[in-house]
Amino acid sequence: MIEIKNLKKVYNGVTVVNIPALQIQKGESVGLVGNNGAGKTTLFRMILDLIRPQAGEVLSKGEVVAGGEAWKQYTAAYLDEGFLIDYLTPEEYLYFIGGLHQQSKAQVDEEMNALSDFFNGEIIKKGKYIRDLSKGNQCKVGVASCLLQNPELLMLDEPFANIDPSTQFRLKNILKDQNKNKGVTTIVSSHDLNHVTDVCDRILLMEKGVVIKDIATSSSTLAELEEYFGVGQTSGTVNYTAPGIDQEENH
Amino acid sequence: MILTFFNHELKAFWRSKNTGKSIAVKVFLGLMMLYLLACVLFLSFVLDKLLGELFPKDDLVVAFCGILLVYFLYDMVMRLQLQELPTLKVQPYLHLPVKRNTIISYLALTALFSFFNLWPIVLFTPFIVKIILPENGASVASAIWLSIVGISVFNNYLALYIKRRANLNGWIFLAVGGLLSLIVCGDYIWHLYSIQKASNLVFGNLLKTPVLVMVPLLMAIAMFYINFFYLKDNLYLEELSSKKAEDRKSSTEIPLLGRFGHIGDLVANEIKLILRNKRPRSALVMGLFFLFYGLIFYTQKVYGEGMKVFVGMFMTGFFIISYGQFMYSWQAAHFDGILVSKVKFRDFLRAKYLLFAMVSTVAFVLTTPYAYFGWRTVMIHFVMYLWNIGINTTIVLWFANFNQKRIDLTKGASFNWEGVGASQLLLSFPLLICPYLIYLPFRYLLHSSDWGFGAMAIIAVVGIATRDFWIKQLERDFYNKRYKIAEGFRNK
Repeated sequence: MIEIKNLKKVYNGVTVVNIPALQIQKGESVGLVGNNGAGKTTLFRMILDLIRPQAGEVLSKGEVVAGGEAWKQYTAAYLDEGFLIDYLTPEEYLYFIGGLHQQSKAQVDEEMNALSDFFNGEIIKKGKYIRDLSKGNQCKVGVASCLLQNPELLMLDEPFANIDPSTQFRLKNILKDQNKNKGVTTIVSSHDLNHVTDVCDRILLMEKGVVIKDIATSSSTLAELEEYFGVGQTSGTVNYTAPGIDQEENH
Repeated sequence: MILTFFNHELKAFWRSKNTGKSIAVKVFLGLMMLYLLACVLFLSFVLDKLLGELFPKDDLVVAFCGILLVYFLYDMVMRLQLQELPTLKVQPYLHLPVKRNTIISYLALTALFSFFNLWPIVLFTPFIVKIILPENGASVASAIWLSIVGISVFNNYLALYIKRRANLNGWIFLAVGGLLSLIVCGDYIWHLYSIQKASNLVFGNLLKTPVLVMVPLLMAIAMFYINFFYLKDNLYLEELSSKKAEDRKSSTEIPLLGRFGHIGDLVANEIKLILRNKRPRSALVMGLFFLFYGLIFYTQKVYGEGMKVFVGMFMTGFFIISYGQFMYSWQAAHFDGILVSKVKFRDFLRAKYLLFAMVSTVAFVLTTPYAYFGWRTVMIHFVMYLWNIGINTTIVLWFANFNQKRIDLTKGASFNWEGVGASQLLLSFPLLICPYLIYLPFRYLLHSSDWGFGAMAIIAVVGIATRDFWIKQLERDFYNKRYKIAEGFRNK
């Protein structure tokens, strides 16, 4: 589905993303984790052709993403509020997105009804513009607009960050359903290790722009990740550094 | 503590994006300010001569006293419209261990740093020193001066107080506006009383008994405290913020646009953008006001047909210029979404063309009553209308590709320099020069205005007919620049 070759992005002399090679197969569910500044959002933006890489390229279904239009047909993404048209009401926005994909209002209404649990009665017919919604509710609109597009590739940047616990559970179920039952390739980044290991079959751990771990999720994954992130906290004796992790990888 | 606040305030001013990032804009703004100040200074030094000419029968001092209250009445009107509430800035301090009184005094004091408080002092001080001081003595002169300061401070806090109350209840603003216009009408239309005479009465007494200066000073102090205690009672975010109590928002549809498919949807979104946000809305309203532009020029014989080219272009195309000069910046907040969405940029551009054509058409229809000045005027308007949608739209959109400045839609338009850059200044040249490049040679070399208009109409129609070609060029140019544009828009 996605193939990344020698992708590199440098800001003011600092390498923010440097990925020599990465392949994501169709139907995979990928979780992207890493501390702030690891390059997750930059990677997302390069996959979506929003920023120009210094070197390398991203291919989607074998076609170069940069300058192309074909990938837009089957890709849906929500990175931040910058993806929403904030002076529209949620209904207007969703009708607009549906219209782009040749859906009638009735079809959009139907989709929204299916999502009524997820919306929890806070989105539709509330008489508010998107800009007046809370960040969590804006996120719901963003996710809903993605689902509306019936994508083959779904990309969400920290979708769990602002939403309430109930919605987090619902979103996890939605993501699993999309991936397992509809075969949608999902790429989700998150700081919540529990969620990401729960939803994703494959975890990419980024540090300073480099993918330092690429693991298939198993029962030990969560512990492994917690050990990496819990610097000096889980155990005082083991102090993980980048080379140490590399050895672990080899092992 | 208050000093620290002032320090933060200064930093906020110099570091704000509104002040303009580029030095060119800063220099331009500085020059504008200096120019304005110079104008007022000039006015203040010739005020005595001006009054002598305006009121040749009256004594200079009497005439001066007569205009003071009139000035302050208009001062009030201006303040209500333009003066900004120094409010939300306190938000980061509310939860800190800072005494409420300190915060409020700071809020109340910074309100004094407004140009509105500087103008009356600059405007009237030279007159007081030149005329009143030698004629009536130091005590009277200082009494007049202090009372002017007192009334401006009073006006300052009254305007802020009204604005604060109006934030919670919009009707107050309407009531005050109605009251002010009644006062003005009572004098100038119904002639029930004369503000000028009232002013003379007030300041005439002040001339006789300078001790009366206590009255305006006390009024100013009283207003300060009314404001102070009102703030103290209402130091909560929702009451401080300039956001009005929200009504229920409803979804709207524009059925006519449904016929244009995708592009119609995009135009519908943009119309909502314009109607639902302060700054683009005022660009539209300005366009409506510009429809009266012709009345200024057409009623005077001095201006020939050459002027009608200019005026006609502005009237039928003001929206294209005022809204278009900030093109794409309006959508900066969701530009990433546009780039990722299925919308082809070509369609995005077509929607802009459609929007501009629609608004220009409406403007042209609204200007048809200028037929009063002869059908030829309407013909010229029509040529300029074609020119606007055929040529100017493409020029404006071409410049849009150079614009990388984000605009916050929710902020008002007055004194808002956000998004202003070199591209806006440069844009005005081709817009103003191009029509004359075609028109003037015909007029002066071939002595035929008709051929000039004919040539312009033909070029404009060719521009409209070859629209798809231009859209392709614009799209190609955009694809080269889109990363930069998107990055600029992401910078808050």
